[in-house]
Amino acid sequence: MSAVVDERVSDEIEALEAILMDDVVIKRVGDVPDIIETVVHPSTGDDTDQQFVCVTLEVKLTPEYPDTSPDVVLRNPRGLDDALLATIHSQIRNKLNDCLGQPVVFELIELIRENLTERNLPSGQCVICLFGFTAGDVFIKTQCYHHFHSHCLATHLISGLRNYQEEYEILPNWQQMNVSPYQQSCPVCRTIVTCDVESLRKAPPPQESITAAPFCVTDELKVTIADLQHKMSALLAQQRAKGGVVSTGYTGPPPLTITTPADNQNNVVATNGPPAAKPEPAAPRQNGNASNSNSSPGSPNGKSGYRGPYRGFNRRGKPGRRGRGNAR
Amino acid sequence: MAALPRRIIKETQRLMQEPVPGISAVPSETNARYFHVIVTGPEDSPFEGGLFKLELFLPEDYPMSAPKVRFITKIYHPNIDRLGRICLDILKDKWSPALQIRTVLLSIQALLSAPNPDDPLANDVAELWKVNESEAIRNAKEWTRRYAMDN
Ligand SMILES: [Zn+2]
Ligand SMILES: [Zn+2]
Repeated sequence: MSAVVDERVSDEIEALEAILMDDVVIKRVGDVPDIIETVVHPSTGDDTDQQFVCVTLEVKLTPEYPDTSPDVVLRNPRGLDDALLATIHSQIRNKLNDCLGQPVVFELIELIRENLTERNLPSGQCVICLFGFTAGDVFIKTQCYHHFHSHCLATHLISGLRNYQEEYEILPNWQQMNVSPYQQSCPVCRTIVTCDVESLRKAPPPQESITAAPFCVTDELKVTIADLQHKMSALLAQQRAKGGVVSTGYTGPPPLTITTPADNQNNVVATNGPPAAKPEPAAPRQNGNASNSNSSPGSPNGKSGYRGPYRGFNRRGKPGRRGRGNAR
Repeated sequence: MAALPRRIIKETQRLMQEPVPGISAVPSETNARYFHVIVTGPEDSPFEGGLFKLELFLPEDYPMSAPKVRFITKIYHPNIDRLGRICLDILKDKWSPALQIRTVLLSIQALLSAPNPDDPLANDVAELWKVNESEAIRNAKEWTRRYAMDN
């Protein structure tokens, strides 16, 4: 193969390198440019924090380029759905036909950028409210590249601080001294973040949370629910009949009676049963940490969450922390 | 009672329409924040074959606070006490609003597959699990057979 490069191609490559600098990669075979690769972002001025989408454009030149069309591939799309990618692909095909005989890479970059700029919204849902991001929503990208409606993140940070303070206040003085200060964290990856809650909380709630159709129970769903409820109560009745239910006072919602040490004793199974029959201390073990904080499903009337004494101060990994399991 | 937040509605809808294998959850007739739950004992665990009834309650500030969950069916497990209370970090200090009812129930199911006697809630059970694991597993199987199986 001849190493002579068409002047139209060498001019284009020179211009790309001059303008995009480090943002473009030219792969060559010998001296001949073979593949041009660049990541395309929406135009947001210099504000990279406001770029929620991007895609890698890969242009493989043919030996006859630009008199024949190059092979164009889009890789690593971020925040773009399939429908938009399909639109971009078909616009690229048209552009390649229109531009046969002349360099086309700048045109392609521009075409993709316009599409990205128009659809510069994070994809997926805000994990706090489970609604998507729509035009008009106010949202934020954290340092760890997670997206939330500003309104939702503010709610999370405010309640995080409130829980921290409540737990702090019930600590004895000598323990308060050893507590690390409150830190904001990302709900998804728990990275420590720094956000201005005051400005976040001014944002309106997500549009979809207002406009979404109300939940409507279809007949089909009604049957599913009724079936399940029936199955649950049958199982419960059956298990209760053979002494397989934890609390003798259990009656379903409203769920919990106060459990006393006496209740606890009543639950000890027959003497020659499995080891639950071992002698027990008179009171349930409550050693003052958070282990039991989750035990009480609370009032069925939707009163505020459990704020009792077992909400131990273990949030920040202080000594005595318990618990296990996987967050995801 | 205040209107149910849309997030709870969305979660309920999805739980009904795309149930998690081995887990059923349904809101009670009288309280949409209270769920009846059945978790199937995981395969290759001492709880295999058991149907465990749980209750789950979404507090007022859910999802800013964790759901309250406990076992109703008796279970022999080092991290679950005799009142059904569960020792699981995501229900306490590791809660995040990014978690959902379904992820919580999956984590509880995973806890059945991987008991952790070093982080006990049921101390006598954990003790036996540490000194004589095979006997503890026998007990867990026996409890499962006795209380959680159709027979
Ligand atoms: Zn949101
Ligand atoms: Zn994050």
